Amino acid sequence: MRSEFVFALGPDLLLLGAIVALMLLEMLRADARWARVAFVVSAGAGAFLLWQQLAAGYVSDVVPGELGTDRFAQLGKLVLLACGLGVAAGFAAARGYKFWLLVTSSMLGGMLMLGAAGFAPLFIGIELLSLPAFALIVQGQGHTAAAEGAFKYLVLSSIASGLLLFGVSLAYGMTGTLSIAAWAHAFEFAGVQGQAAGLLVLSGLFLKAAVFPFHAWAPDAYAAARLPVTALMASLVKAAVILALARIVATMPLDPASTLAVTVLAIVSIVFGNLAALGQPRFRRLLAYSSVAHAGYMIFALLDTTGSRGSDLLWYAAFYGLATVLACASFAALCPDGDDELRALDGRFHTQPVAATLLALAMLSLAGLPPLPGFFAKLLVFKSVIASGHVVPAVIAFVGSFLGLAYYAGIAMRLFQQAPSVATAPGRADAGAAARERAAA
Amino acid sequence: MSGPGMLTALLVLPWLAAVLMAVVGRSAAFGRLLAMATMLVVAWLGIALFAAFDGASGTLQYGIVLPWMPALGANLRFALDGYNVYFMLLTVLLFPAVLACAWQTDEGCSPLYLALLLALEGALLGTFLTQDLLVFFVLWEAVLIPMVLLILVFGGAQRRRAAQTFFLYTMAGSVLLLAAVIWLGAEVAQQTGRWAFDYASLQALQLTHAQQLLVFIAVGLACAVKSPLFPFHAWLPLAYGEASPSGTALMAGVLSKMGAFGFIRFAVPLCPDVAQQLAPAVMLLAAASIVYGAVLALRQQHYKMLVAYASLSHMGYILLGLFSLHPTGVHGAMVQVLSHGLAVAGLFLLLGLLEQRRGAQWLQVHGLATRAPSFAVVLMLFVLASLALPLTSGFAAEFMVLLGAFSAGYTHWLEGAGPGMLAAVLLAATGVVLGATYMLQFARSLVFDDSSVAERLPDLRVRELLALAPLLLLIVWIGVRPATWMDKVDTAVVAIARSPSVVVVGANHAQ
Repeated sequence: MRSEFVFALGPDLLLLGAIVALMLLEMLRADARWARVAFVVSAGAGAFLLWQQLAAGYVSDVVPGELGTDRFAQLGKLVLLACGLGVAAGFAAARGYKFWLLVTSSMLGGMLMLGAAGFAPLFIGIELLSLPAFALIVQGQGHTAAAEGAFKYLVLSSIASGLLLFGVSLAYGMTGTLSIAAWAHAFEFAGVQGQAAGLLVLSGLFLKAAVFPFHAWAPDAYAAARLPVTALMASLVKAAVILALARIVATMPLDPASTLAVTVLAIVSIVFGNLAALGQPRFRRLLAYSSVAHAGYMIFALLDTTGSRGSDLLWYAAFYGLATVLACASFAALCPDGDDELRALDGRFHTQPVAATLLALAMLSLAGLPPLPGFFAKLLVFKSVIASGHVVPAVIAFVGSFLGLAYYAGIAMRLFQQAPSVATAPGRADAGAAARERAAA
Repeated sequence: MSGPGMLTALLVLPWLAAVLMAVVGRSAAFGRLLAMATMLVVAWLGIALFAAFDGASGTLQYGIVLPWMPALGANLRFALDGYNVYFMLLTVLLFPAVLACAWQTDEGCSPLYLALLLALEGALLGTFLTQDLLVFFVLWEAVLIPMVLLILVFGGAQRRRAAQTFFLYTMAGSVLLLAAVIWLGAEVAQQTGRWAFDYASLQALQLTHAQQLLVFIAVGLACAVKSPLFPFHAWLPLAYGEASPSGTALMAGVLSKMGAFGFIRFAVPLCPDVAQQLAPAVMLLAAASIVYGAVLALRQQHYKMLVAYASLSHMGYILLGLFSLHPTGVHGAMVQVLSHGLAVAGLFLLLGLLEQRRGAQWLQVHGLATRAPSFAVVLMLFVLASLALPLTSGFAAEFMVLLGAFSAGYTHWLEGAGPGMLAAVLLAATGVVLGATYMLQFARSLVFDDSSVAERLPDLRVRELLALAPLLLLIVWIGVRPATWMDKVDTAVVAIARSPSVVVVGANHAQ
C-alpha cells in the first residue's frame, strides 16, 4: 500500500521534495545555479515516473474519492512538466531560489488538480496553482505596474475561488459528497440547484482560464510579469485549469443550455481575443489576448459528444503550452534587455537566424498554420466539434482564427523583413536591392 | 529503382536538400550547386515517371502509403494519376529553370533563398501527388510559407505589403476549405463508420445536392483566390509586381495551377451535379476573367504588370475548358495547365534576366532584336506561345478549350438550358484577339521599337539558354503533337467530362 502511494503520487512527491530542497538550499546560501538544477532533476524524474506509469497502463485510486491517477492525469501531468522544463531550458532570466520555489509550488498545484477525484484536492490544487503566480508577477520587480497587474490577478482569482467554492457547496448540498464523479452523475438529472452549481463551477474555472468575458485580468497581469512568468501563466496555469475542467466534465455530454453557453463563449473568446490582439504593439499584451483566444479553442472542445474530448484537449494543451513557452523564450533571446515592443523584431532573422526562426515557427504554430503542430491541435478540436454536428459554430470559429493569422503572421513577417537600419551584406547585394527598389518605384 | 521508390525520392529529396541548406549554407557556391543538383535529379525522376506513366489504365500508379494519423484515417498516401501527372511534370521542370536564371543574382547566393525554393518544390509536389485530402490541405497551406517568405525577403520596395496581402487573401480563401475537408471526413465516418480522407473514399460518398453545393463553394472559393479568378484577384497585381522574378515565375507558373488543380481534382469530381448546374455561371466568370485580364494588359506600360494580367487572362481558359465538361474542352484545359505554366514562367524569367542586365532601367529597354538577337528570339517564341500561334502549345490548348466549350454551349442552348454558356464562349473568344493585340504590342515595344541609343546589352548566356530551352522544346512539342501528351490524361479527362451523369473516376481503386 505504501509503495503504491509512493508510485502513484511519485511525481507530486518529487516536486514536494524539490520545494523542501529549494528551501534548504536557500537557507544554506548555496549557489543560485542549483535552484534550476534541483527543479530540472525533480521534474525530469517526475516525467520519467509518469512515463513508467503510462507504459505500465497504471491506474490507481490511491486515496479513494480524493486522489488518484489514470492515463489522462498522467498525460496531463507530463504536459505540465514539459511546460516547466521548457521554461527552465529556454530562459536565462529564470533564476533564483524564490523563482523556482514559486514555480515548483504552482506546478505542484497543477498536478494535484489533475490527480483530483474530489473537490477538496481540486480546490487546494487550484489555489496552490494561482497564488504563487501572483507572487511571481511581483517578485523581483519594484514598479507599481507589476503590483497593479498582480493585484488584479489576485482579486479576480479570489472571486473565481469564491464562485468555485459556492458551486461546490451547492453540489455538496445536492449529493452529500465531494466526489467529482458523483457530482457529474447527479448533474444529469438535477434541477435548478444543479444548474446553479454547474454555472458557478464553470464560471470560476473560466475566470481562472481567462475565457471571455472573464478575461479582464489577463492583459494587465501578463504585461506586468517578466517574460518567463508570462510564459508560465499562459502555458502551465492555463493548461492546468483547462485540463482540470476536462477532468470534471469528463465524457459527460453537455445539456442544451450549457452547450449554447459554451458555444457562444468559445466563439466570442476566439473572435474577441484575436481582434484585440490584432492591434497590440507589445508582445506580452498580444500574448495575453491570444491566450484568451486559445482558451476559447480549448473550451470549444467541450462541445464534443464523440468521447474524444480528453485526448483533444491534451493535445491542444501540449502544443499550445509548448509553443507559447517557445515563443516567449525566443522572444527573450531576441530582446534580452526586456524590450517588449514588436518593432524590436524587425529584420532580426538576418542577425539571429536561429532564434528568429524558432519564434516564427512558434507564432505560426499558435496561428494554426499547417503543417505546424498547432494546426493538428486545432484540427483535432474542430474535427470533434464538426463530428458532433456543430458545423456552423465551427465555421464561425474558423473565421475567428483567420483573424488570428493576421497578427501571428505579422510577427513572423517582421522577423524576415529587411530592417531599414540594418545594413545588408556589402557590394552586390546592396546594389541589387537598391536597383529593385528604384525599379519598383 | 522501382516506381514507388522513385516517387518517394521525388517527394523527399527537395525537403532533404532544404534542410541540408541550413548546414552547408555558409558556402554559397556549394549550396547553389547542391540545390541545382537536387532539382535536376528531381526533374529527371519526374520526367522518367511521366514517361513511364500509363495513361490508359486509369489507376493510381507508383503509389506509396505510410500511416500518419490512423485514428483519423489520414495516411501519407501519394501516387501518380491522370489528374496530377501534368502538374507534377510542370513543377519539376520549372524549378531548375528558375534557379538557373537566378544563378548569379544576390538571391541565388543566399542559403535562405535556396532553402525556400527547395521547400516550395517539395510542398508543391506533395500537394499535387497526394491522394489524401487532409494531407492535401496541409501541403496546400504549407506552400504559402516559403512563397510568402520569398516575396517578403527578396521582393521589391513594397514587399511587406505584398506578402501580407498575398498571405491573408489566400488564407481567407482556405477558411471554408478546411471546414469542408473536416466535414467530408466526418461524412465518411457517418456513412461508413470510420474516418477517412483518401480520395477513393470521398469519391464513394453519397452527397445530397445541398451538401455538394457547400463543398463546391468551399473548394471553389479557395481555388478561385489561388488561381486567381476574377473577381478574386485583388492580391495579384501587388504580389506579382513586388515578388522577385523567380517568385513571380513560380507564382504564375505553378502556384496558380494549384487553384486549377483543386477545381479539377475536387470541385468537379466530388460535386458532379452542382458542377454541371453551376457550369454556365463559372464559365461566365472565367470569360470575364479572360476579358478583364486582357483589357488591363492592353493598358499596361510596365512589362511585368502586362505579363501578370496576361497570366490572369490565360488562367481563365483552364476553367472555361474544365467547366464545359466536354472531353475536348477538358483536354484543352489540361493542356493549358502545361502550356500556360511554361509560357508565362518563361516570360517572367526573361523579364527577370533583363532586369539583371539593366537594373532599374530595364523598363526602358527597347530594340532587343538588334542588340541581343538570341534574347529576342527566345522572348518572341514565348510571346507566340502565349498568344496561341498554331504549332505552339498555346494554340493546341486554347483551340481545344474553345471548341469543347462551344460544342457544350451549343448543345446546352439547343436543349433549352439558356444561352449563358454560349455567351461565355463567345466572350472568351474575343480574348484570343485581345491577347494577340497586347502580346504583339509588348513584343513590338521590347523587341523592335528601336531607340537610337545603341547601348550594349549582353545577349543570353549559355546557362540561361539551357535553362529556357527545355520549356521552349516542350511548348513546341506539345504544339506539334499534342496527342502524345493527351494520352497520359485521357482516362481522367473522360472521367471528369462524364462525371455529371455517371460517377466513374479512373483513379478509384488504389494499387
